[in-house]
Amino acid sequence: MKKQPKPRVAFFDFTDCEGCQLQIANMGTTLLELTQLVDIVKFREIMSEEAEDYDIAIIEGAISTDNDVKRIKKIREKAKVLITLGACAAIGGVNGIKNRTSLEIAKQRVYGDMAGSINTINAMPVHKVVNVDYIINGCPVYLPEVISVFKCLLMGKPYVVPNYPVCAECKMNENVCRYEKDEECLGPVTRAGCNSWCINNGNKCYGCRGLLENPPIDAAKDILLKYGLTLEEVLGRFTLYNDSMGEKYDKEFK
Amino acid sequence: MKYAVIKKEDLNLWVKHLMKKAKLYAPKRKENLFVFRQVKDASEICLSYIPTILPPKKYYFPQKEKLLKFNINPFLTSKAIEGFEDFILFAVHTCDIAGIQCMDVVFRDGPEDPNYLNRKDKMTIIGIECLQYCDEHANCVSMGNHVPRGGYDLMMIELSEKFILHINSEKGEKLVSSLDYIKEADEKDMISLERLREAKKKMFKEEFSGSLPEIYEVFDKRFNSSVWKDIAKQCVACGNCTAVCPTCYCFDVIDEVELSLNKGTRYRMWNSCLMDDFAKVAGGEDFRKGRDARQRHRYYRKFKYPVDKFNRYFCTGCGRCTRSCMAGIKLVETVNSLLKEP
Repeated sequence: MKKQPKPRVAFFDFTDCEGCQLQIANMGTTLLELTQLVDIVKFREIMSEEAEDYDIAIIEGAISTDNDVKRIKKIREKAKVLITLGACAAIGGVNGIKNRTSLEIAKQRVYGDMAGSINTINAMPVHKVVNVDYIINGCPVYLPEVISVFKCLLMGKPYVVPNYPVCAECKMNENVCRYEKDEECLGPVTRAGCNSWCINNGNKCYGCRGLLENPPIDAAKDILLKYGLTLEEVLGRFTLYNDSMGEKYDKEFK
Repeated sequence: MKYAVIKKEDLNLWVKHLMKKAKLYAPKRKENLFVFRQVKDASEICLSYIPTILPPKKYYFPQKEKLLKFNINPFLTSKAIEGFEDFILFAVHTCDIAGIQCMDVVFRDGPEDPNYLNRKDKMTIIGIECLQYCDEHANCVSMGNHVPRGGYDLMMIELSEKFILHINSEKGEKLVSSLDYIKEADEKDMISLERLREAKKKMFKEEFSGSLPEIYEVFDKRFNSSVWKDIAKQCVACGNCTAVCPTCYCFDVIDEVELSLNKGTRYRMWNSCLMDDFAKVAGGEDFRKGRDARQRHRYYRKFKYPVDKFNRYFCTGCGRCTRSCMAGIKLVETVNSLLKEP
């Protein structure tokens, strides 16, 4: 049997911190194993060569300028498969915070006097502009999940992001629930798949993986209020990463 | 020998002896709660504890358990686990022993579950009787599990400066016989034990406002009760209550391949009826769409369906579901509200 050429993978970044690519750069020997299966042809954090010919485009970052829109459309035309990497690309991520005010105010805050010369649009997850084949959530991405997505991709299978909450994984890890320590957490409304990474390490869930398909926002809001948050703080927690899912919860607060 | 005694000062000696026989899992402190963990030293063990975060079910029905190894090309399958290890569960509350008895009924019901049965075969259970309520969330008296009702190899009962050991199996007998610091209980010990049980009767009171047959009746009639709607308003469907339940045994089966894309392992992983997708079928139909239907189902899987199928209530009264509920849904309140409904 003739050996098939390895698919060529290119990484692109938009509005983000490039931390998710850094996670992949830090993958260690697994990254080498992965290169047995794919050819990395563009990844500026780890190589200086750059090829414009690729099969798989891995997109990091949110779309937040007119130029971003044009650029992502071009990439989509070229790529056979498009994967979003990390919260910014998958759900808009923290970039979405700017959508909570008007663009004028946002520009003023960041650029001051220079605001007039800046082109910016509301931050959007990539799937709002082009078709996305695989979504990898997280801020940053969780490496075991990145590997799972690659395996699915190479086997031609879809990757299904869990539609159960972080709590399910957190309990399997037998963590002391933050609520049992009188501390709040977004675990109950956030999609699992990270193996409750933050809580395992003593932190809380910030909701970086996006909300569940049917997030129980009403009940979650009541719980957070009971744990001493103000309504504004509750809304802040839900929108920290998840502005793009606004329709799902805005009606609960307005 | 049916009853033995061991002095408290010799307990460490005995624990050391047990650790030589098999892996020993016992309750240990974890932050403000407790967990079952392997212990290497008797000093790590906490004999006075409220029910652990997860029940000991994680040892006979692990969160993620290998079922099968496979090779895609050429297609081959093989056993995922070559051999099962002997282990001792130490200081298990009577409610959790009731949980093991429930699991036994389920996994022995045809088709028998070989992984569970293999693990069960290697398991020794040493219980400890609670002499006071762990906290206000337990409902062990109503479920009849506040006193030992079998299902263990040895049962420890604290009696001032010693422990009485009830020997309930040959396996248990082997762990106490021919040790010079464990002696047969005498008549005085037996009288003390009887007094202790009498005192316990005064302290432990039924938590439900009705008897179990009354509760069964009520579940039969209250499928459309507003109680379920009220619970749904509070419930976030996080699944804590099902994960921590000693009698919840639902799982999903997943295949994971290695990076070679040719070899892999089939696992089963805990899943629960509280999860949004649990009752969804191909075509997108969902048999229990709302959180009301899902919570109701959880309750019916404790107080109605297993009674019909196995003639056994599947609530052990451990109180974990109430303790772990961030929304404050309380099992005793739910059942009592149903009983109160006209």
